[in-house]
Amino acid sequence: MHKKKEVALGVIGILLIATTVFGGPTACPSHFANGEAPEFINQKLANKTRELCNEGYAIKHSGITRTPLYAAELITREGLQQGKGLPRSNGFRPDPRLPASERSELSDFARSGYGRVFHVYPAADATTAQSKDNSFVLSNMVPQDSESNRGIWNNIEGAVRKEAKRRGNLYVVSGPLYQGGELKALKGRVLIPTGMYKAVYDPARNEAAAYVVLNAPGDAYQVVSIVELEKIAGINLLPTLSTQIKSRAMQLPAPTGRGKKGGRR
Amino acid sequence: MMKPFADEEASLEINGLTVENRLDRVSLYGSLDITRDQAGLTAARELKDLLCGIVAELEAVAKSGDLPGQVELVQPETVENPFQE
Repeated sequence: MHKKKEVALGVIGILLIATTVFGGPTACPSHFANGEAPEFINQKLANKTRELCNEGYAIKHSGITRTPLYAAELITREGLQQGKGLPRSNGFRPDPRLPASERSELSDFARSGYGRVFHVYPAADATTAQSKDNSFVLSNMVPQDSESNRGIWNNIEGAVRKEAKRRGNLYVVSGPLYQGGELKALKGRVLIPTGMYKAVYDPARNEAAAYVVLNAPGDAYQVVSIVELEKIAGINLLPTLSTQIKSRAMQLPAPTGRGKKGGRR
Repeated sequence: MMKPFADEEASLEINGLTVENRLDRVSLYGSLDITRDQAGLTAARELKDLLCGIVAELEAVAKSGDLPGQVELVQPETVENPFQE
């Protein structure tokens, strides 16, 4: 009798842990810190979302924006070493896993003046030919100002890779930001974000921070704490981290673009 | 080989220089070193073939009288932010 009660309490305990600690459900936990996917704080974001698991990264895709809302990946020193010199592949293409009404098409980006080259999961992070090729599906693309994409954003991606080489392992969650009452949309279909973020978590030192940039020309960027970013993004991006860790922004390197001349990484 | 301006999907890399095909432009970005060695010769030839293809295509369109003074962009539409709380 007494024993039964203990068992029952034990089960309740596990359930409580499950609801408090666990993030969003995911079919590919290896891409997320502690195996837990982000959770939407702003529930309007959750509308028409689908998880897309890929070799190298996981996407949460929105049928409202027709873009990802985040891409999650684990960047490792070994992976970057292994991915050196992979051929750029096979070209951009729509994602056949998504219903036509929810996905972007090549024609949405045509003659827009916008790059679709904001691979939310960057091709240069890829560790295998397959994961590099995967990064070219449009489910991994957000319309991005070309100057920002080739300038500050490219430098931030490079700085994060360099930091992963130095530290060994980094969990990274990247995505678009949508601020203000009105937005622009390519062909009225594909929402153009007002900004972009890249959240970085070092599991060995248990510290994190994020880069944030505007989707506009210029080299401005900010490093913010995860708490600050989550407020703007409306997403609990690293659900297993304590508020204390999320409140303190770790030191992130300045995205100078140095040390990657020729793009030969 | 990429056919310049023929599609929105082709993309290639020449020693770190990224090339993307679009209907209204060919985008080149990044930087490359053309070294005085075998790899440099390969890269230089790739770049030359690409640029020759671009010039040939633009000259052909110009000859047919269809080359505009400036490309026209499709302006994005303004929509309400669906996530505003």
